[in-house]
Amino acid sequence: MDLDAHLAAYGPPPYGGRQLIEVVAAAGLTGRGGAGFPAARKLTAVAEAGRRAVVVGNGAESEPASRKDKQLLWTAPHLVLDGLQLAAEAVGTTRAYLYVHAHPGLHEQLGSALAARAAAGLDRAGVQLVTAPPRFLAGEESAVVSRINGGPALPRFKVPPVFRRGVAGAPTLVHNVETLAHLAQIARYGASWFRAAGTSAEPGTMLATCWRADGTVEVVETAIGIPLRELLRLGELPAQAVLVGGYHGTWLTSVHAATLPLANAGLRPAGAAVGAGLLAALPHGRCGVAEAVRVVRYLAVESAGQCGPCLNGLPRIAAGLAELARPRPQPRLRADLERWAGLVERRGACHHPDGSVRFLRSTLAIFGTELTAHARGECSATSHRPFLPVPAGVPASQAGWI
Amino acid sequence: MSGITASTALWYASRATGITSLVLLSAVVLLGITVNRQGRLPGLPRFAVTGLHRNLSLIAVVFVAVHVVTAVADSYVSISLAAAVIPFVSSYEPFWLGLGAVSLDLMAAVIVTSLVRSRIPRRAWRTVHWLSYGMYPVAVAHSIGSSTDLQSGWRLAVTVSCVAAVAGAAVFRLRRSLMAVPRSGRVASALDDAVGSLAGGPAAGQGRPR
Repeated sequence: MDLDAHLAAYGPPPYGGRQLIEVVAAAGLTGRGGAGFPAARKLTAVAEAGRRAVVVGNGAESEPASRKDKQLLWTAPHLVLDGLQLAAEAVGTTRAYLYVHAHPGLHEQLGSALAARAAAGLDRAGVQLVTAPPRFLAGEESAVVSRINGGPALPRFKVPPVFRRGVAGAPTLVHNVETLAHLAQIARYGASWFRAAGTSAEPGTMLATCWRADGTVEVVETAIGIPLRELLRLGELPAQAVLVGGYHGTWLTSVHAATLPLANAGLRPAGAAVGAGLLAALPHGRCGVAEAVRVVRYLAVESAGQCGPCLNGLPRIAAGLAELARPRPQPRLRADLERWAGLVERRGACHHPDGSVRFLRSTLAIFGTELTAHARGECSATSHRPFLPVPAGVPASQAGWI
Repeated sequence: MSGITASTALWYASRATGITSLVLLSAVVLLGITVNRQGRLPGLPRFAVTGLHRNLSLIAVVFVAVHVVTAVADSYVSISLAAAVIPFVSSYEPFWLGLGAVSLDLMAAVIVTSLVRSRIPRRAWRTVHWLSYGMYPVAVAHSIGSSTDLQSGWRLAVTVSCVAAVAGAAVFRLRRSLMAVPRSGRVASALDDAVGSLAGGPAAGQGRPR
């Protein structure tokens, strides 16, 4: 949507200063980048940090199967940029960054959007575009800050946290671009408008990337709490299993998933979480084990290589799962995999090992019968075409993280 | 040497724990250099080097504590508790004991920062940890100067070996800059390692030389 259409539909960003934080708190907006942290708390922490802050819009959607941030930045960049401006004003700064992967055309699109806004005098904070490298961890909060500071996009130790010392040593507010878009609309229409959708504990709408069993992918804006059955059309498009939350998420059986809503209240008891709204329904006739082997190898390859347990443990787990998928694996391999998983979690500077282990464990739980069949040398799949997108290759040089 | 009587027991205990502490601290510094050089001990997994360094340092703390407490409690010579931590205020051998106090203070800084390592910035922890290279020579000087114990016989031999080992390792630490595996190569080689060790069976890959 270009600037004129945006202004015709929504008007200019409603600057109002720090009161925005109270409205956001009343609306109950939580982060849409996956962690679901209350947005007002982050805003308050940075606003009260006492030094001039920096605001970052995090559009580095590094999850290969997720499309919602790219879609949002393509079709409604001005909503995101409005949110960035309003957040900057709320924490009292004029320094802002927009951090995005280098997709063809996207930078030009965003550059011209920013230029149009500058020409119309809409923006109060200066926005700098920063490119994220094509790494899975590039969108992690401390990796974002590290990259903007000129270094590689690698997660850092969390002491001190970025909201105290981040970009150029300043308190840094990092928000997912979808969160900023919601923030812009909350500023325009108020907290009760936002709360009109969703549940009382998890209000509002969210963008969900839905991979349906017929092979179509769609980004949908939906109220939180909608049944997964409806989003993925599990009735007409039957699936064998549903992946909730991306490659750090959890597999559920299709039958179980069909009873659950897209809300943490329903998903957490099942061991899953809404995360960044990525849902994938694996159709019958595909091999879930083969998909998982590809994904876990990708996760191992995408380790930042900074923490011993992750650097050494994830490749071992990936190789172990690949072995387990072959006929007649060693009898102790399954127990070894569980043990390695336990040794790796919570032992990194970031949550990459934890998320990878969560994915692995749910694979072993949900695809147990398939693994048993594989051990006998059989596979129930009729098609060996990959379903989940997994980028190939390993970074060839140090420049792979810049 | 006269027999150990009830009145001199504490004094002997202090001297004995003193030399034991020196040996332990030498081992701790050697292990610390091994950790930094990413070296391995034969037969042990990689994380055991770090674990051993940490555990041995805590054992050394205990021995040093006993060494200090027995020296203070003992009435053979008068050493106040203050003299154990404030350098050069002791009435007995103020200089040599003062060196002991200096090394005790440095050791306390290193140990405390390591215990709260996850809560302080990494650079702060690292800077304080470098003080170990100051603590060790000061501790050695204290050991040699405070009593004539280490100046002859097997105890001298032990002292010289410890110091020589640490000095040699420190030179090794300073001379060779570690050829860091570039990040892009780390994961690839970790994957190769993992596939190779699994091909050899689940037990292979433990204790393999680097």
